[in-house]
Amino acid sequence: MSIDFYWRLPTHGCHASIRRGSYDRGDWSPLQPGNVAPGLTAQGEDDGYRYIDHLAEIAKAAELSGFIGGLIPSFPNTDDPWVISPLLARETKTFRFMIAFQPGFLDPVHAARISASLQRATGGRTVFNVITGGGGPSQLWWGDDFAHDDRYGRTTEFLDIFRGVWAGKPFDYDGRFYQVEGEQLSDLLSREEVPEIWFSGSSEAALQSAAKHADYYLSWLEPYDQLTDKFARVKERTAQLGGEQKCAIRVDLVARPTEEEAWRDIRIGFENVSDATRAQWRGQPTDSVGAARQSALKPTEAKRWDDLIVGKNLWGGFNLLRGGPALGIVGSYEQCAEQLDELIQRGADAFILAGTPHLEEAWRIGEEVLPLLGRTAATTQNLLEAAE
Amino acid sequence: MTLRFYWRLDPAAEPARGEASARPATGFVPRDVRTASLNRYDYYVQVARAAATTAFDGLFVAYRPESDDSQIVAAAIARTAPRLLLVPEFPATVGSAVYAAKEAVSFQRATHNRLGWALTGDGGEEDAARTAEFLHVARGVHGTRPFDHDGEYFSVKGGGFQAPLANVPFPPVYLSGDDEEALERSARLADVHLLPHAPLDALRGRAETLDRLALAAGRTVELGVIATITARETAEEVAAGQGIAGSYDAVANRLADLHAIGVGHVVLSATPSLEEAYRIGQFVLPRVRARIADLRAAA
Ligand SMILES: Cc1cc2nc3c(=O)[nH]c(=O)nc-3n(C[C@H](O)[C@H](O)[C@H](O)COP(=O)(O)O)c2cc1C
Repeated sequence: MSIDFYWRLPTHGCHASIRRGSYDRGDWSPLQPGNVAPGLTAQGEDDGYRYIDHLAEIAKAAELSGFIGGLIPSFPNTDDPWVISPLLARETKTFRFMIAFQPGFLDPVHAARISASLQRATGGRTVFNVITGGGGPSQLWWGDDFAHDDRYGRTTEFLDIFRGVWAGKPFDYDGRFYQVEGEQLSDLLSREEVPEIWFSGSSEAALQSAAKHADYYLSWLEPYDQLTDKFARVKERTAQLGGEQKCAIRVDLVARPTEEEAWRDIRIGFENVSDATRAQWRGQPTDSVGAARQSALKPTEAKRWDDLIVGKNLWGGFNLLRGGPALGIVGSYEQCAEQLDELIQRGADAFILAGTPHLEEAWRIGEEVLPLLGRTAATTQNLLEAAE
Repeated sequence: MTLRFYWRLDPAAEPARGEASARPATGFVPRDVRTASLNRYDYYVQVARAAATTAFDGLFVAYRPESDDSQIVAAAIARTAPRLLLVPEFPATVGSAVYAAKEAVSFQRATHNRLGWALTGDGGEEDAARTAEFLHVARGVHGTRPFDHDGEYFSVKGGGFQAPLANVPFPPVYLSGDDEEALERSARLADVHLLPHAPLDALRGRAETLDRLALAAGRTVELGVIATITARETAEEVAAGQGIAGSYDAVANRLADLHAIGVGHVVLSATPSLEEAYRIGQFVLPRVRARIADLRAAA
């Protein structure tokens, strides 16, 4: 069995250390000495490097250290994955660009064309994380006023058309949100493979749409039993449609030579978050079921870093240290590998991993953790049990 | 005013060049070691680098639904084609204006502000209305925060980019068309209006109309000409050439004349695209620049 491991390109700048919240890679913080991409020359001038140059290094580190590609997130104040991917297409070799995008923002026929073009530019290295948006002010910011379940309805129709025009003959569609007549990709474009579709969303509406279109159902890490239940529900739905659902997990790791060193970084990181910052972290109103499942972990109310230990090697405060979901894995290389092995036992078919700083941690996890997979004590134990 | 030169890459032209799927599968005697990773984009890059190394100022990429997408091509070549302004042509029907503006801003950030937008369309009423609203919203979220809009095609609430996305300029917008409606639209919306090449008198008339309309709209709009070009060392080699045609000297004089009537942008194309970019860049552009300098010195 082989498992696809993706890394992540941070599109909102990066921190030089998980211990500190300052975005000193990229230009999301003021340009000052020690900043990278852009940085300052010895004369104190902008050195001309741009954040894309740093993203290129992360992508290359990921492909060299054994990751199959990387997720490229999309939020109001990030750089855009549809631009980053073609920009980096020619200087990477095997790295797959997993583009996070909300179907509502592009015309579906146009989306199919640009996807096929990107497939041609990359030799088939395009992958999608289809997201459907978290509602609230940020949805209106994008210019989208659809309600939660309508957004998923639109996502389903979008993907119907996206695949439909790829099939090599004229395609008609009369949906609630889209109508097309006689559209198809040219022979040149339809020769390319339809990109693999990863799908995020935890609500009923999301699962319904996923069952029809997702190659991988993608979830943030959640407490393991809860996650196992969710995967079981998705797999059951897809089975009803006659398919077999693969599942994937997106999770951050703090992996260090020893468990003690890993928790020390978490403790220092936690202590560097001011109360004021913590209060701000409550986030915007959202209709996201997935986000509610994360915030149920309540990291904003913790007094001490270890209030947030929610299980062996599991810490629920990652969203205090950087934007994103709350739950992540903390431990020695061996322990991190054990956790991943356990998740594989529980039905994960693929992963998107990340760690801060993304460049150095791609190397570290690629070199120190990935090679331990399938060989840790947890796996051995499970294999023994299975054999009994 | 300077005269800016753009080469125009057409992703659908010369379809076999560099195209991996067009390689002979049988009956090709030389040992063929080209892998699939050597492909059409390597050719696009060559054309772009040809334009960059021969002192063009920019590269337009034509919108061809049957071939590679102009915006994907522009981004894929950006990091290997230095200096050039990259101007994909595309219609306002590609998707949300907010999303397009956000992509534009990322492109600007990554390329030291080397993006332009050439909005195309069928020129019909619906297309014109959509294009106008598309530009209004895209520029709105780029320049205003919070930005609200409730229109026919797009609606936004509390929109607008923050730093650092808001720190880069909006790409220059090129619109085209030959009739009065197109000129009127450009007067309101374009940074540059591109006219098809025509006799000097006709162009002069259009230029005056554009100036008048732009003045009425309280804006300035620069003028450009888009043309195919056929240039050879001697006039007799240009049998029935297309577009702006003639010897290197004659073509250069013609381009300098355009400049003299107020044209600031020239978008040129010829086939084969790579070889002709070198030819025009090496033999015609230096003559135009010298001629403009001479005229200026004389004046
Ligand atoms: C792994 C994962 C990655 C996501 N990435 C993004 C992203 O890049 N941009 C974004 O706006 N939302 C992202 N989302 C959130 C989704 O857009 C959506 O808000 C969420 O899945 C809510 O849907 P639900 O109500 O069905 O849970 C992501 C969600 C998951 C699970």
